[in-house]
Amino acid sequence: MSFNRREFLKTLGTTSVIVPLTACASPSGGGKSAGKGAGKARVVVVGGGFGGATAAKYLKIGDSSLDVTLVEREKTFTSCPLSNEFISGHGTLDYLQAGYDGLMKRGVNVVFDDAVAIDAGKKTVKLKSGKSLNYDFLVLSPGIDFNWKGVEGYTEQVANTTHPHAYKAGPQSVALKKQLEGMKDGQTFLITVPPGPFRCPPGPYERASQVAHYFKKKGMMKSKVLIADSNDSFSKKGLFEQAWKMHYPGMIEWVAGASGGKVVKFDPKSNTASSDFNDFKGDVVNIIPPHHAGLIAMNTGLTNDKGWCTVDMLTMESTVQKDIYVVGDSCLHGDLPVYGAPKSAHMANTQAKVAVGAILAKINGVPAPEPFFVNTCYSVAEKDWGFSVVHIYRIKDGKLVYDTKAGGISPVNLPDEAQLKLQRKLESEYVHGWFKNIMADAFA
Amino acid sequence: MRNKLLIALASLGLASLTAQAGPTEDLARTCNACHGLNGVSVGPNMPNIAGLPEKYLKTLLLQWKSGERYAATMDRHVKGYTEDELAKLATYFSKLPYVAVVQKADDKVVAQGKSATERCETCHGATGGQPDDDETPKINGQWAQYMELEMMKYRVETTKMPHKKMRGNVKRLAEEDVPAAAKYYAAQPK
Repeated sequence: MSFNRREFLKTLGTTSVIVPLTACASPSGGGKSAGKGAGKARVVVVGGGFGGATAAKYLKIGDSSLDVTLVEREKTFTSCPLSNEFISGHGTLDYLQAGYDGLMKRGVNVVFDDAVAIDAGKKTVKLKSGKSLNYDFLVLSPGIDFNWKGVEGYTEQVANTTHPHAYKAGPQSVALKKQLEGMKDGQTFLITVPPGPFRCPPGPYERASQVAHYFKKKGMMKSKVLIADSNDSFSKKGLFEQAWKMHYPGMIEWVAGASGGKVVKFDPKSNTASSDFNDFKGDVVNIIPPHHAGLIAMNTGLTNDKGWCTVDMLTMESTVQKDIYVVGDSCLHGDLPVYGAPKSAHMANTQAKVAVGAILAKINGVPAPEPFFVNTCYSVAEKDWGFSVVHIYRIKDGKLVYDTKAGGISPVNLPDEAQLKLQRKLESEYVHGWFKNIMADAFA
Repeated sequence: MRNKLLIALASLGLASLTAQAGPTEDLARTCNACHGLNGVSVGPNMPNIAGLPEKYLKTLLLQWKSGERYAATMDRHVKGYTEDELAKLATYFSKLPYVAVVQKADDKVVAQGKSATERCETCHGATGGQPDDDETPKINGQWAQYMELEMMKYRVETTKMPHKKMRGNVKRLAEEDVPAAAKYYAAQPK
């Protein structure tokens, strides 16, 4: 397929590197200079989310002499994972947040600015402030931006004022939380879901669950959640539907794309979202607009006709521009239908580690290590009721494939009720352990 | 050339040594997202795995892979690794230093936990840090919430938890002593 992959495979096939294990004394891989040629390499990372922050940190762990610069707009990162729980009243926003001090302490040069243009020929990143950064390697982790033409009438201005999408965590999560808290019994919360791929595939359905949880907690048993979906199925469907039936009977309604659920138009004044067949009304309407890769990636010409960055599956290097590695939600990676690989924090984290391995190998003139990609994604549908999906991607015959013998969703049915409750309780807790560790893995 | 290569490889740790075999450290790094950098967790329900006995780690990983042992999430992970990779991961993490994350708890709770855990002493040692053999984990300074959740697994009658002695002893604990026992060991530095 791509030049890079073929070359990588050729290298793997023809190079026999025989070095006694004992010669590589330090298994830590940490903090040592790689010596000749490596020390001066300049790596710029654009975007300080789960992907970019992990990349910056592991570049420094791999070779402390690297010149690593992270460009990020915001001084505080707010996590999307667990932000649905925040909306329904669990915890405070700062539980979801991290700063960049940890990365600075590791020697990453953190620049709070906006990357506005990349010149892939000259290998420079232009910043809003007017400054320009030179790079030998660029890690691009800009996340997603929204296609404002996707739902007619749902403009950026509407999103920022009256109808938050809350699909980038932060002020919009706070705004949506307030709208939920203003609801009365009997009212309807409408969520519209864009066509896939979108970030956090189970996100809209977890949000629906959390809103129903809020209604139940407040005794608002006549209130409803309506999901108008552009798609005909969804992530962890069996698990969500089981949870809805058990915990929120009659409270959550899902309208599939094939049943006229694909919303293409929105009227903010009458709170009406319309598909070609139906008008959906809600007292609170949460439009999640269609996504594409972060604008900087589009403007650099790294995206395909659907708006996502194609990458070499084994190294995360862009198939369009050499020495640019795209990680996180903006890339199309993996072999699953529609999504490739899910756009999740955990995928971004492992993709970043693979990109770092490939960059360090390139700097040192050795073959890239065999990549390994793993994803864990938890959803919480009700108190003590969590579940997950695990994906493991491995290389088989030179191709990246989803390992169907491993991974998969939590069991829907278990032999008895005690085991079912235990399973859901454990995963409802694990999500917090996972969250704290992955935040530390990226930012500390 | 060879020297340069050696230096380069050393800088990557063992990462690029056996590009085709799936280098252990690269694999281990994927564990960090849930178990913390170098196997020391910062999430109270994810266990520290650094410095646990090799045999114990290997037994767990292989039992999850074969389905002999219940896990809520880990079984779906380990099925993606070969037995050889799991054995190497067990070795790798067992060689990292054990870090006791000492969690302070109320004196009364600690005392309650101490008296409830007399039966645990034979295998784990009085304070959890002196295991009897290389198949028993240290539990001093392990995360309390993790230990409590593990004990919940043993207390559900029908789960597959093959360690009979452990199941028997956990089931003998009174319900209200379970969190106290966990907090007692979590508070011990040694």
